[in-house]
Amino acid sequence: MAINKKDIKEFAVGIGFLLPNILGFLAFTVVPLVMSVYMAFTDWNLEMHNYFRSEPITFVWFDNFFKLFSDPDFPQYFGNTFFMMIGIPFGVAGSLVAALLLNMEFTKGDGRKKLMVTMVLCAVMAASFGLLAAIGMGATGMTILLVSLIGGVFVIGSIGGKTIYRTLFYFPYFTAGVATFILWKKLYNPLNGPINNALRPLLDALTPVAVMISPACRTVGIVLLVIAGLFFLNMVRRKLRLWRDGETGIVSAWLGMILLSLPLVFCWSWVTPTWMHIVMDNRGVQTSVELSFLSRDANWVLLLMIFFLSIGWGRFLYAIYLAKREYRCIADRGIGDSAIVDGSAMVLNMILVGLCCVFWMLPEMAASDTGLQPPKWISDYYWAKPSLLIMGFWGAIGSNNMLLYLAGLSGVPQELYEAADIDGASPWQRFWHITWPQLANVTFFIMVMAVIGGLQGGFDMARVMTEGGPAGSTTTLAYYIYTQGFNTGRLGYASAVSWLLFLMVFTVTMFNWKFGNRYTNE
Amino acid sequence: MQDKNSRFWGGFAKLISLNVVLTLMAVLLVLPFTWMVLASLKVLDEIGYDSWLPKACQWHNYRDVFTMKGIFFGRWYWNTVFVSSWITFLQVFTSSLAAFSFSRLHWKGRDQVFFLYLATMMLPGLVMMIPNYQNMILLGLVDTYAGLVIPASFSAFGTFLMRQFMMNIPKSLDEAAEIDGATKWQLYWDVVLPLARPALVTLTIFTFIGSYNNLFWPLVMMKSPDKYTLPIGMLAFQSSQGQQTNLLMAAVAMSVVPMIIIFVLMQKQLVKGIMLGGVKG
Repeated sequence: MAINKKDIKEFAVGIGFLLPNILGFLAFTVVPLVMSVYMAFTDWNLEMHNYFRSEPITFVWFDNFFKLFSDPDFPQYFGNTFFMMIGIPFGVAGSLVAALLLNMEFTKGDGRKKLMVTMVLCAVMAASFGLLAAIGMGATGMTILLVSLIGGVFVIGSIGGKTIYRTLFYFPYFTAGVATFILWKKLYNPLNGPINNALRPLLDALTPVAVMISPACRTVGIVLLVIAGLFFLNMVRRKLRLWRDGETGIVSAWLGMILLSLPLVFCWSWVTPTWMHIVMDNRGVQTSVELSFLSRDANWVLLLMIFFLSIGWGRFLYAIYLAKREYRCIADRGIGDSAIVDGSAMVLNMILVGLCCVFWMLPEMAASDTGLQPPKWISDYYWAKPSLLIMGFWGAIGSNNMLLYLAGLSGVPQELYEAADIDGASPWQRFWHITWPQLANVTFFIMVMAVIGGLQGGFDMARVMTEGGPAGSTTTLAYYIYTQGFNTGRLGYASAVSWLLFLMVFTVTMFNWKFGNRYTNE
Repeated sequence: MQDKNSRFWGGFAKLISLNVVLTLMAVLLVLPFTWMVLASLKVLDEIGYDSWLPKACQWHNYRDVFTMKGIFFGRWYWNTVFVSSWITFLQVFTSSLAAFSFSRLHWKGRDQVFFLYLATMMLPGLVMMIPNYQNMILLGLVDTYAGLVIPASFSAFGTFLMRQFMMNIPKSLDEAAEIDGATKWQLYWDVVLPLARPALVTLTIFTFIGSYNNLFWPLVMMKSPDKYTLPIGMLAFQSSQGQQTNLLMAAVAMSVVPMIIIFVLMQKQLVKGIMLGGVKG
């Protein structure tokens, strides 16, 4: 009896401390959760159920989900959400580079003070001479502004060291929000925004050059594509070798193949945007889609791409055929390796392919009547998403990820580097064989968090900058839920979409639970 | 001597080049803000010019933002700080209480309840938004500050963060306090809470920044312009008078200032907190 009484008392005290929190938790998390599940299966629509008109809410089972999958716009929004996640590896790579630079030894060994003083003096002198020279040469206000900005940061950075640079890097991320989105909307203004103002003279100068060297441009484009293709094949070979040796499993192999193939697939859609021409009326609303045949030159790109892809996938499929008899290993092994190494390879290949496309399109655009024109950024159907990605990259370099990487770097044992120095390792080897593996768990954590965030992301940007447009090109799932739930009042439908989103987040989280530990405990 | 000299100049060259790279990166990242400040000092007609520099600094732009018709900038500022402060205070308070219960007290079903908390952290916030809004209509809290503050005052993430920290505070302190005859409340208030200071500071900063920047919930909840918070206020500013780029930029610059102040003052704690929490993006 006495024990029972004590139990009850302990329970009462425990709940007593929990009470304020758990009341809110029940009211604003658990109850809405249950309601949301219910809503997802009903046709709750504010147009039919409101103060003036109350038709009964009916239970429609999976109708909302069927409607969702038959919605002609839905694949686009789904694709947008994933397209926006292409920015993640770029941002993470940027953060890593920033962290590596900040982590370098600023001063080392004896004579540290002398070094610092000389350095600061030189910085001041360089900055002031630069400024004087700029003024002396009768430079415009802009040049003086730029020179003094660079000089100022240089001097302050030389004196203050790491902290100053870290603060400046962190600045865009820290202020991110509606304010910076509005700022970027003004920067992106196609008519008189500063970005296009700066681009226009550059492009004007480039136009005659591009026309002149147009055959060379095509050649460079093809060469870049071939390099990208060979890189792809090489990575495929590496993947298959790992698979044969039992280092990775079939799941990892598939994931790796898909990641590696993406840039080449994208190449096709980038080089041939004329293939599908979206016609818009003057308000930017999509009215129809016209199909046109590939131009003859673009066929080359297509052929090359198919060539490389078919070799890579042919080898892979042959390996699968062999695997039935020969390769025996755990199916889910080495997924982290796929996610990170193949993800990085994908980023590299994306850059190559992107450059290829630039070179490919350049002569054609330059030869047109208007010459090279700066893009219309967020008001252009094709440029809207890349514009948002560029803005995201600007904010992502100095983000929390950079700080996490910095913490990770300070945790790498120095003995490893000393041992590497004795063995005469090059800086690249030091990075690849020591730093990168030691940071693997940080990278994995960052990636998973970024993917979870990315799935739910894009609302603020879309709401402030583009309102989901032009023609739905920046509508992500989160923004779609918002418009369906709060603009058109289709609560049931919006809830169904939000549960689909949950399913995706849940999958990633499960992936993290299952493979995260294994990867980080290595 | 020769060798020492050459090593000095080698280190010097490395240092200079490192600083140059870092400077260029930093300048690129800061350029948009430079444009923002300079544009906010221009006359409207100058905005589209190639030169970023204003002919004469129009400092009165900053004053004009406060007196514009239909733009209650000062009011929005105050609303945001008011709402964010309340959210922060309540959330830190309820989270630390719950974390204390989860980490230092023993009662039946504790771990099961905590698991429930953890499980809901996985849910996208969007799932709860629509039913929550319906509840707010039922409770009559739409377009009130209470409607902004109350739902945000309870956070599974905050509870989780605080609990993780409190788990690492030695248990022997509890026993010592108990021998001295301290009640549970005294244990919480006088022993655990002061020791959990780093976690408290972290959660305070995160919560304040989060609610200061929050767009979604105020956008859904607030109807009358004089009750707007800054993010939706700026949005309204942009859609109604967005052509006045110079004033808009002045407003943007001013709305960023509190963040900068917090950052400069709290930088050390913030950096530590990110390592501690490691979660909130």
